[in-house]
Amino acid sequence: MKGYVKVLTLIAIGLAILIPFASSYPDGLETVAKILNIEEAEPIWKGFMPDYTIPTIENPYLSTLAAGFFGLITVSAAAYILGNLISKQEETK
Amino acid sequence: MHIPDGYISPEAAATMAVISIIFLVLSWKKAKATCPKALAPLLAVSSAFVFAAQMINFPIIYGTSGHLVGGTFLSIILGPYAAILSMTVVLLMQALFFADGGIIALGANIFNMAVIGGLSFYIVKLIAGSSIKGKRFFIGVFAASWLSVILGALACGLQIGFSPAFIEAGGITVTVPAMLFWHVLIGLGEATITTTAITQLHRVQPAILNGLAFLKREAI
Repeated sequence: MKGYVKVLTLIAIGLAILIPFASSYPDGLETVAKILNIEEAEPIWKGFMPDYTIPTIENPYLSTLAAGFFGLITVSAAAYILGNLISKQEETK
Repeated sequence: MHIPDGYISPEAAATMAVISIIFLVLSWKKAKATCPKALAPLLAVSSAFVFAAQMINFPIIYGTSGHLVGGTFLSIILGPYAAILSMTVVLLMQALFFADGGIIALGANIFNMAVIGGLSFYIVKLIAGSSIKGKRFFIGVFAASWLSVILGALACGLQIGFSPAFIEAGGITVTVPAMLFWHVLIGLGEATITTTAITQLHRVQPAILNGLAFLKREAI
């Protein structure tokens, strides 16, 4: 378990280092839409942190970093619960 | 490749949601029957890795970028079915918190990235057989991760091609070739990253590659 926390910390550090190098170019699907002159429709649900930024944090790096950390925590927590649910059956055997 | 709401018609979104739910139920049952004990921490960490990697876009050409999807990567670590569930968790959080991929389009996004990504495992199996090391295994990983992105883009092109906005622009005869063109290139990035990561894990910590156990099995 300790090893997993260590790897998770390394992922967080890796993310903190790589965020400034991430390309802000449109991705494949966005490029296709752009070439065809299709505007992005107003999303039905904007989420709490649209485009991986926290609106109340002004510094763009910190804003994305905080959103990223939030995502890492929620994704790993949800996946952990999922993991317990799907490997439960075997434990009770 | 995350489809936002508005790029997909309600009919296409509903169809994809039904198809994805069927795959998720099957994956849940299969994962429950086959997953090794105490998979939870590994599932947590590998899902977190994929979430982080998807935030880091790499430039390709002509002002376009791509990012790792990670479906094949997850399938080698978790096996195909837990990989589908793991990627679904990532996509769900992205749609809920970050508006990365629409809520209505979630079913389509789950199919394009989670289902195709997880099942790309069988491309590895097709190429590598039950061999879990050596050239054929890594060629299998490279081909599967590349194809997983190309097939995901193909599905995405078909889905968006039927939305009113894209029908006006030419429909699937335009969206499919355009999606394929970009994702053949983005897929090479996916394949390079996936093969490198799996090679390193295979060298350092082969015990965590649970998907390998699936490769050895005759029938799944």
